[in-house]
Amino acid sequence: MVVNSVIFWLFFAVVSIPYFVFFRKSCRGQNLWLLLASYFFYGWADWKMIPLLTIITVVFYWLGLQIEKNNVDNPKRASHLTTLGVVLGVGLLFYFKYLGFFVQEFAHLFDSFGLKTNLSTFSIIMPIGISFFTFKLISYVIETHRQNIQPSRDFVQFATFIAFFPTILSGPIDRPGEFIPQLSQSRKFNYDNVAEGARRIVWGLFLKVCIADRLFGYTSAILDNYTHHNATSILIASLLYSIEMYTDFSGYSEMAIGVSQILGLKVRENFHRPFLSQNCSEYWRRWHMSLTTWITDYIYMPLNVRFRDYGQYGMYLAIFINLVVIGAWHGANWTFVLFGAYHGLILVIIAATEKRRRKFEKKYSLKKKAYYKYPRMLLTFFLVTLGLIIFRANNLSECFDIIHRLTYNYSFPFTNKTTFVFGLPFILLLIFKEFKDENKYNIHFLHSKRLPIRLMSIFLLLICVFLCGNLDGGQFIYFQF
Amino acid sequence: MEKNEIFEKLNEIFIDVLDLDECNLTDETSANDIEEWDSLSHIQLIVAIEKAFKIKFTSLEIMKWNNVGEMVNSIEEKLK
Repeated sequence: MVVNSVIFWLFFAVVSIPYFVFFRKSCRGQNLWLLLASYFFYGWADWKMIPLLTIITVVFYWLGLQIEKNNVDNPKRASHLTTLGVVLGVGLLFYFKYLGFFVQEFAHLFDSFGLKTNLSTFSIIMPIGISFFTFKLISYVIETHRQNIQPSRDFVQFATFIAFFPTILSGPIDRPGEFIPQLSQSRKFNYDNVAEGARRIVWGLFLKVCIADRLFGYTSAILDNYTHHNATSILIASLLYSIEMYTDFSGYSEMAIGVSQILGLKVRENFHRPFLSQNCSEYWRRWHMSLTTWITDYIYMPLNVRFRDYGQYGMYLAIFINLVVIGAWHGANWTFVLFGAYHGLILVIIAATEKRRRKFEKKYSLKKKAYYKYPRMLLTFFLVTLGLIIFRANNLSECFDIIHRLTYNYSFPFTNKTTFVFGLPFILLLIFKEFKDENKYNIHFLHSKRLPIRLMSIFLLLICVFLCGNLDGGQFIYFQF
Repeated sequence: MEKNEIFEKLNEIFIDVLDLDECNLTDETSANDIEEWDSLSHIQLIVAIEKAFKIKFTSLEIMKWNNVGEMVNSIEEKLK
């Protein structure tokens, strides 16, 4: 049941009507109802993993209470319990996501030494959404240990935070300190919330079905069969894949945020117009923000603090590890590690030249100059696209082969009517909106002060969705992670 | 050392590390208020503060700070 399918909207209607009608005065009732709906939603995707989700939720609930109990009287025990929580969360992720990969890699290694292994039956089924909910669980124990939050004393509330259906499959990754307090008061039907939520859903739907799904046909046709295409086609497909990736994932995030907002719950933002970034460091502050801020808070900063006595080099190492972890988080494949290392290297170069660059920009007042800003945006987009070629490739040799093929054989590209006739005008609309919003957010189109413009924008977007879109509930790229 | 002396010294450190023209820190100032104060420069600030006050923070102390006020409290604790 994905958010761009009719069945999801039926489910959402069945959830929200009792939520706002029968339970409107009972916070506990609303939470319990949300929890049941979330488990039903998760069970619909993968019912066999419900016991795992339940048990792990109980364990972390208990850990939170124990950590708080020991934080003052027995800090050592609190620290051990936090470590246990982190190891448990990382261990789960490792077992389900990476163990099979490492076993296979070792098997290949042994085979290359002539040692026979028989691992054809070894496979572990990965619970859907595990990369997202384990990160919520880990942040819960760390924040409790840092005494930034009080652990939840209401199990239903805590379990709802972990399993919250709009975000469990693909984020945004919420933080306990921001989300749980919202569950301690009942949520009333609020027109502004519902209107804004609906606007974000419509925009998300447009991004997903009118842009991402349109581009998918072209990018997969070329990149899955790149040996049959010339460099021009591969280059165009790669550039379009960056836009497909962005619209697919930010489209999902917009819908998840919109659905939550209708229910009266604010979840983390995930994207902030990343392709308007002027360098890759800024890009990572604007792309998949709920993941990058998580990794910054719980991996980068602790490493940086640890390495601070090594000066600049300690910081570079922390940056590099940070990006490799972000890459590897996406899955068990060396391409993801290389993707992370590639961005890590770029960010280290940016960090090493940061001070000089800032001085230079200040001296010549360059920051807002168009001739300085736009070429940098374009360069960042190209660098991100190169990274996504590594990201998308099935293995390292394919990735190097694609990059090699980009260096020769430029001729007339393969064209496809569906992509170029429908996709390109929508992309232009997206670019136009991104630049408008960057200058001043929330005043254009869907957010115009004039009601006719707002209604017209929604109406036109919906027409595009129904006429050009594909509403069969196509999968989102990020579900696989 | 008095609290206002700590703030005075911190202002100097922030101006120097973040390359600011001026800086008026208060208890509530956080990274959201100063554009140049990001995750990269944060660690340089910590190193500079430790050096200037001749103190050493633990990782947990650093991770707990949400604003300059909490940072100043940690410095005061260490100087006692």
